Amino acid sequence: MRKNKAMIACFIAPTVVTLVLMYLYPVARTVLMSFFHVTNLTASTSTWTFNGLENYFKILHTADFITSMKNMLLIWLVGGVITLALSMMMAVILTSGIRGKKFFRAAIYLPNIISAVALATMWVQYIFNYDYGLLNTMLEMVGLESVRWLGTDLKFWSMMAAFIFGSVGYYMLIYISGIEGIPQDLFEAATLDGAGKVRQFFSITMPLLKGILKTSITFWSINATTFFLWTKMFSPVNTEGSTIVPVVYLYDTVFGGKGVVNLDAGAGAAVGVVLAIIIVIVYALTNLLIKDGDLEY
Amino acid sequence: MKKLFALLLAAVMVLGLVACGPAGNDQTEPPKNNDNQTQAPGQGTEPPQTNAPEGKKYEGVTLNYWSMWSAGEPQATVIEQAAAAFEAETGAHINIEWKGRDINTLLSASLEAGDAIDIFEDDYNRIGNVYKDYTADLTDMAAAADYASHSYPIFAAQSIAWAGYLNSIVEQPQIGGIFYNRDAFEQASITDLPTTWAEFLDVCQKLKDAGIAPLAQDSAYCNFTFYNQLVRHLGEDGIAALRDNGHWAENEGAVAAAQELIDLVNAGYLVDGAPDEYPASQNKIGTGEAAMVVCANYVTAEVDSVMGDTNWGLINYPAVEGGADPNSVYIGANGLAIASYSENKQAAFDFCMYLVTGEWDQKMADTAKQIPADPSNTCSYLPTAVDTLKNADATFGWCTGLNTHAAWGTMKTLFVELFEGKYATGADFCAAIDDLY
Repeated sequence: MRKNKAMIACFIAPTVVTLVLMYLYPVARTVLMSFFHVTNLTASTSTWTFNGLENYFKILHTADFITSMKNMLLIWLVGGVITLALSMMMAVILTSGIRGKKFFRAAIYLPNIISAVALATMWVQYIFNYDYGLLNTMLEMVGLESVRWLGTDLKFWSMMAAFIFGSVGYYMLIYISGIEGIPQDLFEAATLDGAGKVRQFFSITMPLLKGILKTSITFWSINATTFFLWTKMFSPVNTEGSTIVPVVYLYDTVFGGKGVVNLDAGAGAAVGVVLAIIIVIVYALTNLLIKDGDLEY
Repeated sequence: MKKLFALLLAAVMVLGLVACGPAGNDQTEPPKNNDNQTQAPGQGTEPPQTNAPEGKKYEGVTLNYWSMWSAGEPQATVIEQAAAAFEAETGAHINIEWKGRDINTLLSASLEAGDAIDIFEDDYNRIGNVYKDYTADLTDMAAAADYASHSYPIFAAQSIAWAGYLNSIVEQPQIGGIFYNRDAFEQASITDLPTTWAEFLDVCQKLKDAGIAPLAQDSAYCNFTFYNQLVRHLGEDGIAALRDNGHWAENEGAVAAAQELIDLVNAGYLVDGAPDEYPASQNKIGTGEAAMVVCANYVTAEVDSVMGDTNWGLINYPAVEGGADPNSVYIGANGLAIASYSENKQAAFDFCMYLVTGEWDQKMADTAKQIPADPSNTCSYLPTAVDTLKNADATFGWCTGLNTHAAWGTMKTLFVELFEGKYATGADFCAAIDDLY
């Protein structure tokens, strides 16, 4: 068929214009803003004052930002390893032909269809509660002392546990779809050759799921860097150091909190740029470290 | 034919995008406030900018009101009812948009863009500092309406200090201090309210002896207790210097404040589980397990909304020996402001006054359990609050300004740790704060 360039242009023009206006422009403005002193997010560019890398130095010398980056790194690394490992384990178990597969799959995925706000409230008020929470009730039943699950020592890890609980089902479904795409002949042949389930997992399942693993790491990285709601739910009145993450720090810097009137959109933009760079680096590293195989599902 | 079809499709897509874009705004760039568009005194009946038929004062006028409340909240219910009553009386229709607590994320951009806003609602501190370029000067209208007789002088003075002119009408005043359950005090046979730290510790001991935990403490409000103690030693100016320059461990007042709170914790005056997760600990005042909480007056409404009515009382935070500031009190407020580019400023102002004075203010105070904005009204659940606010001359702002420190989030975690008993001495705690600098 002869290509009609005008027709192609007409069809892609609205998309291109929309992308430029709604995506490229805000991105370019944010990057630019990060090099200027800007108090208000919507301030006219004529009021911006150039201050080079000052915004970056400022955030890198702020204890709250450093704490937030540490928290984010822990969510990404520790939370990521646990979530992806648990998801993979459950996906493998559920695709191994166990009984009640549909029930377990639905039950594990269930937290994903519940509002994260409701889920976090349930964890904070009913599971971690000091007086009548599920965990302390169980501890008391076996004669142990109650634990302050939401104290400064454990609050971050409690939040992480709740977040992992809500995330496992999503990644499990991704892995199940990948595993189910692998031809059963391979597993049958391996079984005939005497390979056990563990050997089959490491020699067949994992290598053939490289692409999906890469995707899930990218998804998790985006989840970790844009982590926001769970922090807000675990620190409901004001931001706290034990749960702060970069996006919450950005939000507070740009919009202020109660009684905070010294807004700094420039520093907020710098936080945004740093986060974007981190995602790009993680994506590049993932591509570098997990090479695409010849055969993937 | 193909070309025509393609063009037609592209046109439809573009039209769709345009139609889905932001609503058109017939207002040009909003004039900033310094053009001083307010009415002179005596011109309190500005004619509406519409072809209104003869009749009610503001017939045909529509006021766009951006509220910081969410639909269904007690405050929202009263505002809705007041708006309906105002419309019945004056003919002005109030178009209310419930923006919720995150209204601060919208207002700057919306005011700058000249969105159709006549009245908006937020923390009066932000109105006085962040939005002041887009707020109307209410001085003359307030004088004409005798606003001074219907408000607490401290708030108007503060608004003028921030913005350079009166740019907000206070709607929900707040006051800080120690909020206590009168029934618990009666049960412990406490008749005299404490005014000094030593007396306060005596009260704590009496409560403990009566089997009532003296103090509830949620982690979210640990900073309240700490900065109240600190301000008694150093005053707000002293705290500002400490915040900016550090060297907490070398400051005797800061070390003493931390040490006194460590001693309070070690004496077992916190309720079991404290510092707990908000609002678990403060709710124990409602159950009678605990007697007091250091916070602002909204804590009473928070507790009552869950636990039912409590017989509340208010104590000013006790003075410490040799302290720089024996009696100042935290005050704050939510306020109403009028956009500088509003075409119906007088109608908007009249509605604000309608809401914050007389019958509707009383109704708001009763329904939402808050201090009335009009001192001639009464605060049924906290009777001394109105007089305390009327006579307030020594005040301090939100968190005594500590919250403007760049490491405020981390600092607050240290305050929680202080109440968790993690520091052996006040000096240890202050050294941990110094590490944030």
